[in-house]
Amino acid sequence: MAKQTFSVGQTLTAAQMTSLQQTAMLGGAASAKTASYTLVAADAGSAISMSNASATTITVNTALFAAGDTVQITNLGAGVCTITAGTATVNTSASLALAQYESGTLDFTSTSAAIFIKGAGAAATSGGMTLISTTTLTGSQIDLTSIPQTYINLKMVVRNFKPANDGAILELIFQDYNATNRQRLNTNWTNADNLAMDDYRSRISSGQDNTVADLSLITIDFPDYTNTTTAKMGYSIATTNYDANTANFNVRYQTLFYNQTTAITKLTLFPSSGNFTSGTVLLYGVK
Amino acid sequence: MTNTKPQIKIIDCTTGEEIVRDANADEIAIIKERQTRAISMQAEAEAKETAKAELLNRLGITTEEAALLLS
Repeated sequence: MAKQTFSVGQTLTAAQMTSLQQTAMLGGAASAKTASYTLVAADAGSAISMSNASATTITVNTALFAAGDTVQITNLGAGVCTITAGTATVNTSASLALAQYESGTLDFTSTSAAIFIKGAGAAATSGGMTLISTTTLTGSQIDLTSIPQTYINLKMVVRNFKPANDGAILELIFQDYNATNRQRLNTNWTNADNLAMDDYRSRISSGQDNTVADLSLITIDFPDYTNTTTAKMGYSIATTNYDANTANFNVRYQTLFYNQTTAITKLTLFPSSGNFTSGTVLLYGVK
Repeated sequence: MTNTKPQIKIIDCTTGEEIVRDANADEIAIIKERQTRAISMQAEAEAKETAKAELLNRLGITTEEAALLLS
């Protein structure tokens, strides 16, 4: 039951008492949403569930809630539901993104600020993986920015990579493209000495543009991506359809190196030529 | 009128916000540069394959036999 203002002498109905009891016992029906939603004053003290296969947001604005108000939010859908600070300030010690079956509570400390307390849910606070972002591969380039710094490792999964140009290669850049931020790819997980950091991107694997079902799967792990004292690396395993014979596959085991100590906050993906036709990239945080 | 400018999708992984926008002039230059480089690398690889095949043909041996010689 949403927060009510009761008046002296008001008669409480059985339904109101039942609803209040459910709320007090953290039960009761959630207000079901199926699209991005902006909280309203009547949501104070209530529970909201989101269900959508694509990414959604719950926006929090000022001057609607009072200190002490709470709103519980549960994501039932496959799309990530992200708590978004509209005009209000929202702080958290975890992530503002709720993967499927994760839940959290907005605890308002004033009319303009709230703390988002994320529940254990599917994403354990220690151990396990949390889906940070999922998006389709379109256009010439995908920039994954503002990557949360609250995990130990990152895991990227690219499904069904299909470039518009046959044989175009999926490439990746750590952080930003410039003259000093250099990287290098080492293929086949072979030992290598004296490797020059002489490239600006890492070439993961080629894809094919044919209309047959594209079955490619690529994973890239980025260990200890937040430290600021070492160079960075990733290691990838890729199986992609061979462009000249779609029944066959390319298989690549590769190590990606990046010569900067900066914590990784941005990863860019693009085909070596032309646009992406289709595919999906998922980014997980690993604890 | 069709928009022919390269499109860049930017995902804010903290807020979940997605923006798709046209590449700016600097980004278009970078995209062109890397595509030129990709074409050049592909041509280089193809030329190498052709030269290798011609050499094997001149020597009258197969790829497997050449690998055996070098092992």
